[in-house]
Amino acid sequence: MTTTVEMESIYKKILDRRTANRDLPPYRAALSTEITDLLAGFFKKEKPGATVSGVRRVGGGASKEQFFFTLSDNGTDTQYLLRMDPRIAITETDREREHILLQAMDGVVPVPKTAWVDPNADFFPQSAAIMHVVDGVTKPSDSGVKVTGLGTYLGEDLRAKLRDQFLDYLVAIHAFDWRTANLPTFEAPDADPKQAARWSFNYWREIWRLDEGETRPIMALAEQWLANNMPDCDDLCMTHGDYRTGNYLFDEDTGEITAMLDWELARIGDFHEDLGWILMQVFGTIENGTFRASDLFEREEFIREYEKRSGRTVNRKTLHYYDILSSWKAYIIVGANGPAAARSQHNHQDVLLTFLATTIPMFADDLVRLLGQEEPK
Amino acid sequence: MTPNTHERLNSVVRALSEVVLPHLPPEASLAQEQVQLCIGQLQILGAQLDAIPAYEREELDDAIAIAKALSGISGGPETQAAQTALAASVDSADGRDVREQRKAINTAVETLVHATSADGDDESKSALTAIILEYEHARAQKDRAWFAPFGFDTL
Repeated sequence: MTTTVEMESIYKKILDRRTANRDLPPYRAALSTEITDLLAGFFKKEKPGATVSGVRRVGGGASKEQFFFTLSDNGTDTQYLLRMDPRIAITETDREREHILLQAMDGVVPVPKTAWVDPNADFFPQSAAIMHVVDGVTKPSDSGVKVTGLGTYLGEDLRAKLRDQFLDYLVAIHAFDWRTANLPTFEAPDADPKQAARWSFNYWREIWRLDEGETRPIMALAEQWLANNMPDCDDLCMTHGDYRTGNYLFDEDTGEITAMLDWELARIGDFHEDLGWILMQVFGTIENGTFRASDLFEREEFIREYEKRSGRTVNRKTLHYYDILSSWKAYIIVGANGPAAARSQHNHQDVLLTFLATTIPMFADDLVRLLGQEEPK
Repeated sequence: MTPNTHERLNSVVRALSEVVLPHLPPEASLAQEQVQLCIGQLQILGAQLDAIPAYEREELDDAIAIAKALSGISGGPETQAAQTALAASVDSADGRDVREQRKAINTAVETLVHATSADGDDESKSALTAIILEYEHARAQKDRAWFAPFGFDTL
């Protein structure tokens, strides 16, 4: 049943889809041979005469099933990436919306280009997109086997090369003129100043309930505090939603960012929401007692540089709100969304999802720390 | 006599590490990742196995402790009803099903949090926050230490 709680329309559809998918049979990881057959069938219709070869799975990540493959057409070989949703993902999103935004962002910041999209799973078993391949890595090749993005250590050399780009691209995304862009499915929370915060809060609270997250006192307290303290937003902008090291590709030799990835949580909202997410401790590193967001900036340095380059003023009270929302949201993702996908056997890597769920106490502790802080004026 | 649980777990870990993993083809990246995660999960489960009942009992004890600390929170009809329900959940926590009883108490605390926001008196609102922060800080430290072997935590 469609929720009656106020939120952006697409998110109501996403919740409906997640509810409906719960009754489907278990899902298992696709075999490369099955993907080869699927792609061959797809291109028989889309590009008659073209052949598919070299299908291989892409490792890492906790959300999509991804495969590289080669498409040979008229003597030319081209590499593509198939991104396919599992039946239920740790973050439930919409492929068409991501495709729309990637098109809009092309030329604003480096992004991968979508070649084909099957948003409603008309051809593929789940919604899918086929992307042009972009060269680059998400973490240094010598950074060990940790899950991408959680505490990735870049080191001094790469840090120096990446930090300006990281910040400048964020500023460019926030400066993007969404009002004149063609962005179907993107709705602006402009009915009143609190709507941006309300839409975000409502969605995450609904999916927490839907996925039967097990409550605890600090989560209840955080939820109530967030409901009672929603900030005004008078400067709506495009937000990325998951901006951090691990979600961009870079050339390991030059340090050039070749693509900003994972736009699926992007929405029109409050730029403080991106800042709060970026500044979360779990996505950073601590070296000799110094915290660096995404291993790139110390907290105050990041805020100062963001203000300088964007011309915006960071409202500390609003940032405090989104610091708390970020940890609460991350708790929901790893503590409710991931386990629900694993419990229902609707994901291709249940064991990773239950592994990630062990980060719950870190977010609980973050909430204790943040809710115990004196509220900024 | 039953087969030793640790030996059974260790034998699975060894089979996965030394028989299955080396024989997976290089291109089977997902299978390799999943086997490594399975090995990690099993090793940690094995290391924690004997301590799990005490850990879960302590989780319930901590839930009871926070519920009792919150018993002085007062307010209007919603808060009073939530207090009655919370007291009932504590009374029925006899330790026979620690997970379900902890869940029931935490759900009752959640109801009290929302009720206090709705019609609790100002003093109670502050007290409720202070109590939850104090008890949850202690609980979070225990949980972080418990899950530290998974390698994500910077504790």
